[in-house]
Amino acid sequence: MLLELDHISKTYGDLNAVDDLSLTVPEGQWLAIVGSSGSGKTTLMNIIGCMDSPSRGSVTLEGRRLEDLNATQLADVRKNVIGLVFQKFYLVPHLTAVENVMVAQYYHSVVDEAQAMEALRRVGLKDRAHHLPGQLSGGEQQRVCIARALINCPKLILADEPTGNLDERNEHIVLDLFRQLHEQGTTIIVVTHDALVASCAQREIMLNHGVLVGERWNDEQARLAYEAAGGRPASTGAQVEGAQHGEAAQAFADPTKAAKTGA
Amino acid sequence: MAADRNTGRGARRPSVRRMTNRRMFLTMLFGAVFRRRSRAVMAVIASMVGATTLFCLAAICLAVPQQMSEEMRSYGANLIVTGQSADDGAAGMDEDTVAAVEQEVEAVGDARHAAYRYETVRINSAPYVLAGIDVDEVQALNRHWSVDGDWPSAGQVMVGGDVADAMGLRIGSTVTIGYRSDGADGGAGTDGDGGSGDIVADSAVGSGDTADGDGGSTDAETAGDALSTGSADAETAGDVPSAGSDTVGGQMRDGRVSTDILESDGVAYRVAGILDTGGSEDGIIYATADDVAALAGDRGPDVIEFSSDADGDRLGELVDALNDGPLAVGAQQVSKMTASNQRIVTMLQTLFWLVSIVVLALTLVGVSTTMSSIVSQRRNEIGLRKALGAPSSSVVAEFAVESALYGLIGGLVGAGIGYALARALCVTVFERTLAFSWPLGALAVALGMAIAVVASVPPIRRATRIDPAVVLREE
Repeated sequence: MLLELDHISKTYGDLNAVDDLSLTVPEGQWLAIVGSSGSGKTTLMNIIGCMDSPSRGSVTLEGRRLEDLNATQLADVRKNVIGLVFQKFYLVPHLTAVENVMVAQYYHSVVDEAQAMEALRRVGLKDRAHHLPGQLSGGEQQRVCIARALINCPKLILADEPTGNLDERNEHIVLDLFRQLHEQGTTIIVVTHDALVASCAQREIMLNHGVLVGERWNDEQARLAYEAAGGRPASTGAQVEGAQHGEAAQAFADPTKAAKTGA
Repeated sequence: MAADRNTGRGARRPSVRRMTNRRMFLTMLFGAVFRRRSRAVMAVIASMVGATTLFCLAAICLAVPQQMSEEMRSYGANLIVTGQSADDGAAGMDEDTVAAVEQEVEAVGDARHAAYRYETVRINSAPYVLAGIDVDEVQALNRHWSVDGDWPSAGQVMVGGDVADAMGLRIGSTVTIGYRSDGADGGAGTDGDGGSGDIVADSAVGSGDTADGDGGSTDAETAGDALSTGSADAETAGDVPSAGSDTVGGQMRDGRVSTDILESDGVAYRVAGILDTGGSEDGIIYATADDVAALAGDRGPDVIEFSSDADGDRLGELVDALNDGPLAVGAQQVSKMTASNQRIVTMLQTLFWLVSIVVLALTLVGVSTTMSSIVSQRRNEIGLRKALGAPSSSVVAEFAVESALYGLIGGLVGAGIGYALARALCVTVFERTLAFSWPLGALAVALGMAIAVVASVPPIRRATRIDPAVVLREE
């Protein structure tokens, strides 16, 4: 498994942002973490992305237990294994699109403008490469963000509400890019409360107030392959009503999904 | 691109990698400084103000003591050397002594000097002091002297304001100066000025009468002859004093003392200028050394005044050396001027340091505040960089170099403005130009950079502690 979460919890005072979650993600899987605002999606993403550590439990990424790593080693994991896509893009405002892509190369290893331009070409922004973020639309900025995330060929792309600030057209462009990356074997974990975005993933898990309350597979073949590889459904040890325990995935209903997908 | 993950990096040459990443570093730096001009300008201005003030103060502080020394030297002597020959200096200092003294004084520092020969003369039956001078020397040494009219030249004298007032002299007036020296009677000789003995000389203002060269002085007859414009009678004058007389200019005739005090013979001089110093100089009449020699005979100067560059301690040592040395001279330091000079310089330097410390503190606060503002504004960017894997050392390096760049630009501009200000001040106050000091300029720039970097330490430390998870959290 590329990622293994073993009974992880994150608490802020009395608040359980993530409550005793266990989850495994194999390489190449596209997973969507859904839930309403405040459900602990972003906290979970920060933990997976080595930007936060769980209060309890263990995280294993690419076979390395993250709790055993110091800050520098965690930074190395971030730059070598993970590509980050943010809802608010977080582009450096005084650098052009191509320079923003090269920033990730700079901290990773070697700056190569040709590669950066190729990444921008892949997201359809080659002709906008030398524009500052302020001169780009929201969709274009998000595509630059995706180009930056994929420039170092990460094994895992973590996307936090990647279409949250985009219109429908740009949402489709971004989802198409994720599909391409997924087809190339990149593992994708998308945090979203958008049912359409979630439905594009092979697998969805739902959080509610930090507790796992359901799991759904949108790709049956992927489920079979996952189970054949020894994968088990996600689970939580939280003793609250509606929590998903044990070996069986618990279906959940997403009220926004029907409206957006017609499902 | 996936293939590059395993093969691309290792295939590149290290030299190419360094160059490329260095260029990227410079690109990020350029973007931060020149594409975010509003904040950058604030940081540059903060550094610039500091560099300007420091350069200006330092330039003035370096230039002023030098200028002051020059100026003080033009305000008179700081060392006075008088002859101490066996006959109480009546013959003044001889040429060898003068040369030896000058050599000894100049050995401890550059010095200007002026020699004075003092004689007591009579004008309108009243005794006055006549100083024989080298006009150029005295003029250079006493630039603060205010002279209405001209300095003395051959046949012309410059009279002190007090003398002019007492005798109602104006420029163009004629004054008749009589000289008579009698070394034996000890009457009207001038003390401390190396006077040549007793003077019995009468004169009448505007009389145009001739000088009465007294035979009391060795060369008086010659002098009298040389300067006689009318009825000079050196022989008569030579008869006058008697060794046993205790009366000024007195002669024993028929058992009575006869005096020439009312005699009005002398050499007529035109008043070329009137001197006003507000000091004792206003009571003296100045003539060229040649005229005085012609009037009173040839001899060396009584006093040599020096304006030396040597500082107080070295000057003191020089005074001791002259007083204790083989030369028959007495030396005295004019401590008032020297101490005053030193006091002003010390005061200026203290002021410089105080102002510098204040400016330094203000600059630190200014740059630090601006950098704090920049770090706050770029909090998300820093969080992003850390999320992308930037180590804290990289964040520190980027912000430290950025701060140094602000300091560099501010320092360069500040040094230029500081020089312009310092130059304007020097021209205004000292009426002299100020050359640009490259070492001082380099120091101002280096200091500007150092201050900017030091001031950035607290905000940079805050930047390294930024938690990317907190910054990038959306919930």
